[in-house]
Amino acid sequence: MTAPLTPTAPSAVRPQGGRPLARLVRRPPAVAGALWLAFIVIASLTAPLWLPYPTEQQDFSAVLAGPSPAHWLGTDELGRDLLSRIFAAGGGTLAASTIGAVVAMLVAVPLALIAASGGERVEGVINRVTEVMLAIPAFIIMLAVIGVVGTNMPIIMAIFGFLISSGMYRVFVGAAKSLQAQLYVDAASVDGIRPVGISLKHVLPGMLNTVMVQFALVFAVAIMLQAGLAFIGFGPPIPQPSWGGMIQAASQHVYDAPWMMVPTGIVLALTVLSANVVADALAATTDVPQLQIALREPKRRMRAGASTADTQAAAGEGLRVRALAVGSEAVTLVSDVSLDVRPGRVLGLVGESGCGKTLTALSLIGLLPPGIRPQAGEVLWNGHDLTRLSEREFMRIRGREIALISQEPMRALDPMFTVGYQLGGAIRRLQKVGRAAARAEAAALLGKVGIVDAPTVLRLYPHEISGGMAQRVAIALALAGRPRLLVADEPTTALDVTVQAEILDLLRSIIADTGMSMVLVTHDFGVVADICDDVVVMYAGEVVESGSVHSVLEGPQHPYAMALLAADPHAGVEAESQRLASIPGQVPQPKDWPDGCRFADRCRFSTEACRRPIALTPRRSAEGEVRCIRSAELTAAGVTWAAAPAGVEPERVRIEPERVGAAEAAQAPTRRAEPEEARL
Amino acid sequence: MAVFVLKRALLAVLTIFAVSVIAFLLVHSMKGDPGTVIAGLGATKGEIAAINDKVGWNDPLIVQYADWALHAIQGDFGLSLIDGRDIMGDLADRLPVTASLATGGTLLSAVLGIVLGVTAVVRGGIADKIVSGYAGLAAALPNFWIGIILVFVFAVVVPVFPATGYVPFDQSPELWFISLALPVLTLAIGGSGFIARQARASMYDALAQEHIRTLRATATPRWRILYIHALRFASLPIIASIALQFIALFGGSVVIEQLYSMPGIGVDLQAAVARYDAPVVLGVVVIATIVVVVVNLILEMATRFLDPKLRAS
Amino acid sequence: MTIQKAPAAAPAATETAPALRVRDLVVRYGRGRRAAAEPAVNGVTFDIASGETVGLVGESGSGKTTIGKAILGLQRVTEGSVQYRGRDITHASLGERRDLGGELRAVFQDPYSSFNPRRTIGASLIEPLRLRGVSRADAVGRARSMLERVGLPADAVDRYPRQFSGGQRQRIAVARALICDPSLVVCDEAVSALDLSTQAQVLNLLADLRDERGLSYLFIAHDIAVVRFLAQRVLVLYRGQVMESGPAAGVTDAPKHPYTQALTAASPVPRPTEQAERRARREVLVVGGASAAAPTSVGCPYAARCPLATELCRTERPALRPIDDRLVACHYAS
Repeated sequence: MTAPLTPTAPSAVRPQGGRPLARLVRRPPAVAGALWLAFIVIASLTAPLWLPYPTEQQDFSAVLAGPSPAHWLGTDELGRDLLSRIFAAGGGTLAASTIGAVVAMLVAVPLALIAASGGERVEGVINRVTEVMLAIPAFIIMLAVIGVVGTNMPIIMAIFGFLISSGMYRVFVGAAKSLQAQLYVDAASVDGIRPVGISLKHVLPGMLNTVMVQFALVFAVAIMLQAGLAFIGFGPPIPQPSWGGMIQAASQHVYDAPWMMVPTGIVLALTVLSANVVADALAATTDVPQLQIALREPKRRMRAGASTADTQAAAGEGLRVRALAVGSEAVTLVSDVSLDVRPGRVLGLVGESGCGKTLTALSLIGLLPPGIRPQAGEVLWNGHDLTRLSEREFMRIRGREIALISQEPMRALDPMFTVGYQLGGAIRRLQKVGRAAARAEAAALLGKVGIVDAPTVLRLYPHEISGGMAQRVAIALALAGRPRLLVADEPTTALDVTVQAEILDLLRSIIADTGMSMVLVTHDFGVVADICDDVVVMYAGEVVESGSVHSVLEGPQHPYAMALLAADPHAGVEAESQRLASIPGQVPQPKDWPDGCRFADRCRFSTEACRRPIALTPRRSAEGEVRCIRSAELTAAGVTWAAAPAGVEPERVRIEPERVGAAEAAQAPTRRAEPEEARL
Repeated sequence: MAVFVLKRALLAVLTIFAVSVIAFLLVHSMKGDPGTVIAGLGATKGEIAAINDKVGWNDPLIVQYADWALHAIQGDFGLSLIDGRDIMGDLADRLPVTASLATGGTLLSAVLGIVLGVTAVVRGGIADKIVSGYAGLAAALPNFWIGIILVFVFAVVVPVFPATGYVPFDQSPELWFISLALPVLTLAIGGSGFIARQARASMYDALAQEHIRTLRATATPRWRILYIHALRFASLPIIASIALQFIALFGGSVVIEQLYSMPGIGVDLQAAVARYDAPVVLGVVVIATIVVVVVNLILEMATRFLDPKLRAS
Repeated sequence: MTIQKAPAAAPAATETAPALRVRDLVVRYGRGRRAAAEPAVNGVTFDIASGETVGLVGESGSGKTTIGKAILGLQRVTEGSVQYRGRDITHASLGERRDLGGELRAVFQDPYSSFNPRRTIGASLIEPLRLRGVSRADAVGRARSMLERVGLPADAVDRYPRQFSGGQRQRIAVARALICDPSLVVCDEAVSALDLSTQAQVLNLLADLRDERGLSYLFIAHDIAVVRFLAQRVLVLYRGQVMESGPAAGVTDAPKHPYTQALTAASPVPRPTEQAERRARREVLVVGGASAAAPTSVGCPYAARCPLATELCRTERPALRPIDDRLVACHYAS
């Protein structure tokens, strides 16, 4: 009855890919590091069993000798075998380092958990204490401690672990707090789990990876520290050898026997390096931060080759997009998109998440994410095909002819600079005026976007203004270069509804004043009804219906558009409807797109004929286009996508046998509400 | 802002006080007491006890501490048990050495590290891999080991720099600089690796921020995006790591001081610990803590000042 | 089978105590010197009868989410009381909450952080049951049937959250809320993060389950049209205070408080002609000014933005007074 589950949806939180072991194995350096660590640990622990020479045995015939069959790594100034001494020294060092790391974790982890779950005051106290500890010179304290306990390395390292735990705490508390803020922690509280239980069951497991990373790092530092202490004479008591002590002895003979420096140094370095490399591998997340700017090859054109379009004819006619396809090397994300934006008109690009509306919009201003570029079709603007422009050429268009407004105004502004700096800078660049003129223009622009106290706002930082005001600033930024086309990517989604109304009014007045055109990306049909003149409905990367706003919203002809409008609770609840129309299933992922209609699987009117690729055709008795072979038929029959009654058993939608021809279409029975399907 | 500075200053004073108490207790738990140290080998129990009494070793701890603290605040840290020299005066001579080392090392690490880290991000590809490899290696090689190699190359094989010794600044600025060259370079090799990693990570983070897209949309030139906006955004965590670097270098300079025979407070402490010279140990620990706490405070102020979100509060 | 309208009023209560009774609730963040100047929730009173759905509507800063958290025990209450089925749970201890026996549950907003990514769906679902002594086998059985009830395959118990889409995860969240057979479920922006078509699926699911089991919902949302669909009664909140409360259809279609009028006028509808009318109304109501308004501790919180505001409004906080079928906190509404 139910279909198999669909694979992963995009997640806002960056997960770490796979289990730690898997992550380690994926990186060759980490594997090498892990192997070395395993080797040195085992070799050191088993040293008494296999050392070729007792560490104190002196061979006066081979003093300061280089590698030889008898002494694989050479000998020191007393003829003692270096290989034996190195591995004999290893055990104590590694054990003490482990102790240090364990102590550090034992102190830092509980503190972090307590701080994260205990509330502001508790966290504040712990923060103060650890700050104080971090400001203390640890090495110096440790030397003083040596005065007390002597060179008892395990104790010294334990104290070191305690001292450095404050640094670890800093790292852990950030992770713990972000985990504590997750909603599943709230859910656990509602379940009735005690805070301690929550910390142990939900927060700690999420931190384990971070803990392992820090453990490895502290371990590495502890090894270095012991070597340093031994170098200055505070190593393990004679006769136990130590790496630091051996390097100290070697330094005395660096002129006459330089080789002696090498083996100990390399073993020490390799061990520390291995721990660091393993830590790195564990710490790596699968997602590299997605850069907003392509760092390499900035001069590459978006698409190679000359344009095949008739660019001259396009000049002065606004924006024309023809059969645009956008995607990465692996997959196409947007296909066959065509739209027109005439001067002074607002075009709405509407659809649900994943339909490709944002990518389409970003390609108009050449700000697609790295790795994604136009693959086919053209974007004709003012005599150019924008898909063929190089970055440098596009720079001349951005801001001056085409401008962008993003979804989250707070994130769109640089938090480190004042509003005045950012706005003034943009004006200077785009209008080529001096600083004073730019400042005056900035104040004027802020006034134009409805900010009353412009001089004050210019001095403020982005975090000091509200979301609505920040979006006004962003609009002012977009207007700085007096563009002819505005690309607005969900500009009001993140705002309260009353603020949204203000911003929409503002945009409308700006468009009326300047005669600009606008492409507005949104998921909200209400916004489309408010401000747009024309609308393009997208689903799964393609255009399914387009036309004037009145025509499409009052009389949608594509089943998906019908369904979406029927599912909208804002569409007015008629007296009797107590269930919302909904669409069973989910949007298919790009790699699962079928050749034919991408909505067919979820469409209650789909037939076998829908499995073939479908082109855009004119809408029935209206301007605009629709991508559906049954739309004319359905529109003629007055069919709607209505809600199903409650309690009706879910059923698979029956795929009708193919019915070709208008005659049969006329005979097709009027469909009433189909049983709704709960298939996923 | 003023309130914040005051609060922080108070905290700093408390820290120094707390450390002095802990150090005092540590020193009192050391294996050697003044009697044994001064009387030397072969002394009788009676002689040792007499000296301890005279010095006040057996007085209640609070009394001893108060006595010490009262003198310390006036700049009198007492005399060394071993050679009777005035501790404060001695430290005053030694402090510039360690300070020069730590400051020079931190500055050079910072400059090198930032250049390397930013270049790794901006160039990408091979440059990124080289810098990452360098950072990894630099962190893994012990600084004294690097130092020995450097000495071998630059002081022996190609005698450019002196292998040992320190020349005070007021004696001769050029010689001061030259005497510091190798030690500072030694410290900076490891330190620059640490800073380069942070710089690289912070730059990547900065370039993933959404406001970078806004900058591009307003036709901001690439160099401005990278070196003004992104760098500015990345500056805060980088400064935090520079602060940590200084603390580590100041505290850990002992090893390098020993290697290059520089008369800093580090070797002083080392010798004092080895010989159970209690007052010297106490004095060095407290002075070192004061320096580190003050520098930390200054850098914290700088960070707060640079972050618009914190500046106002 | 006839389509049942959502009951216009709560069924005649057979129990004397309403499912939830909130009286003069005040929540102020921070403590002592650090306490915030303005409380997030400033004197809110309402009841939820058994089987009734009450909606809390407001924009950011209205306090609606804080109310939800206070009821669930996730936020400390400063003043006032919360009673569940006659028992005072305002400052209930953890043990007392556990004893509530899973009667008071929640569905949260963000489907991506609602489930521990490191645990299977099954483990998350059976947790509340296991805490109450249900055997593992029984708990898993109930989890499986609950999953099927919300339209997912039973074998989802062994899968991880990352294998599901946002809409599916919200269904699982509903399953988690209902698995203990609660009487009251707090839905905190439960559909706000979903696409339109998924939102409709989940809303239908919530409605069906409510009708099936006689659940009460406290439905918190910023979208008044969504609330109108699901709730019988609605409270409109602004800056921590109730501006208007009454039957959902009435308040939404014919609001009496200036803020509610502004809110409904600002909510766009997908019909261009009607939307143009709303726009015209917006201008009259002076919908905006949100940024200009500074928090005031006396008088009506909406006074700074209200076209009807007078000196009286700025000095004296209007009480909720009955007008027709609802309560309105305004000196001048009629």
